[in-house]
Amino acid sequence: MSLFGHKNNIDQPKTQGELIYDAQNRTKRMFTTNVAISWIILLLFLFFLFSGLTITLGGYTFKTIHLDTVFIQENLSFIASGIGVTIGISLLSILLATVLALLAALGRLSKIPPVYALSTFYVSLIRGTPLYLQIFFFFLALPQLGIILTGLYAGVLALGLNYGAYMSEIFRAGLSSVGKGQREAALAIGMTPSQMMRRVVLPQALRFALPPTGNEFIAMLKDSALVSATGFVHELMWRATRVGRAQFHNLEALIIAAVFYWIMTLIFTSLQSRLEAHMARGDR
Amino acid sequence: MNPIIKISHLDKYFGKLHVLKDVSLELVPKEVCCLIGRSGSGKSTLLRCINFLEEPSAGIIEVDGLEVHVEVKGKQRRQLVHDLRLKTGMVFQEFNLFPHLSVIENVIEGPITVNNMDKTKAIEIAEMNLERVGMLGKRDEYPNRLSGGQKQRVAIARALAMGPKVMLFDEPTSALDPELIGEVLTVMKKLAEEGTTMLVVTHEMGFAQEVADRIIVLADGQIIEQGRPDQLFSNPQDKRTQALLERYHN
Repeated sequence: MSLFGHKNNIDQPKTQGELIYDAQNRTKRMFTTNVAISWIILLLFLFFLFSGLTITLGGYTFKTIHLDTVFIQENLSFIASGIGVTIGISLLSILLATVLALLAALGRLSKIPPVYALSTFYVSLIRGTPLYLQIFFFFLALPQLGIILTGLYAGVLALGLNYGAYMSEIFRAGLSSVGKGQREAALAIGMTPSQMMRRVVLPQALRFALPPTGNEFIAMLKDSALVSATGFVHELMWRATRVGRAQFHNLEALIIAAVFYWIMTLIFTSLQSRLEAHMARGDR
Repeated sequence: MNPIIKISHLDKYFGKLHVLKDVSLELVPKEVCCLIGRSGSGKSTLLRCINFLEEPSAGIIEVDGLEVHVEVKGKQRRQLVHDLRLKTGMVFQEFNLFPHLSVIENVIEGPITVNNMDKTKAIEIAEMNLERVGMLGKRDEYPNRLSGGQKQRVAIARALAMGPKVMLFDEPTSALDPELIGEVLTVMKKLAEEGTTMLVVTHEMGFAQEVADRIIVLADGQIIEQGRPDQLFSNPQDKRTQALLERYHN
């Protein structure tokens, strides 16, 4: 007998429902296991590709890509120290983007024509031009008007403005997800429209918008590499290209940076799915 | 006795559609009044015009001595509507509890945000009202953990916590599973017995017959008939009332 009062499946045959359930579970588990194995094989293949080995097979000789391990050892920590800057830029930019996106979304839902126009104008202008151009605009074009921004400020401003325009859709969806009934309930107990916004609509809209904002942050981690183009922000990409070019080891340098970007993405994606699961657990 | 609700010559248009046609209606304090009628008759619109969730097109709404002329606009109008809403409590068909707040937070939200009441006092009042609707045991639950009937009882407590002069119910049991209707009607009956002035839009003829002091029948945006439940149910005058009640008699 089981301690917890489970059915003893030796005495009692399983019902058909239980059998089907078990079979479905087996199929699911098998799929997950096979995917994991395939991932490992692909990873091993990637390692093999860059292993530098020479293989002779049936008279043919294959050479895999050789990486300079001395260069990697010497420059790993120099490149790695850009991780903090990359995360820092991304955090600052996503913060700015969130504020702008919320304002743009509110503007988009406004019934005041100039406010609505300002919001749609901003979104259209930013989405109609490349991010790369925007970064250069703030860094290289503004000085001609007497406004000189450091690479960092220009980068954060450009990234924030750019992502804010794209993220305004997320916040618009968040605001629209709060039903008419919620607004009516707030008004019926005597709230003013601004109290209704602050106490009832925004808390629910922000909850809705939090997981997709996490996704945008992850995308931002990689787009922040564009800021290296200013030449003055010592983030991951800048460091990789600097040592890579100087010593003509771009292959190794870029692979190091790629691995760091990938690992950061994996870590933040896993945090993100946990956040999403937490938010999905109820209307809380 | 002076009326606590007085609606005079109320008109409401939705675009070109004339949904309320010169409706006048008075309720005296402690009166329980049920509004019945086929869907589309304008009964919900009438109720929602009282606290301006729908903008009336013309007429005067008066609640507890506060008179609001529909023609008044601007800042003065906003203030009047706000005061009007403080005198009325509203219960919706879809409950509309705030999903991001627990039961107790739902009930203290109004007193704290709108009336600047201090939190201890607000909680005291909230707990008293949750007790009245039999939901004090769930004070820390979130709405998504409650059944429809429980949500509606919390929604009633939330409205009561503002200390309204009259309670407006907009089909409070229409979104409920049949087995959950009873608990909500029981609470409403209790409120009626405690002397709450209530205006109830409902399809629950049993409740109307048992609890209401007066039943008002709406059809095509007009009051076609009204009277005490026993009179109205036993001897309906208008053909449309007869047709309406026939379905419930069997």
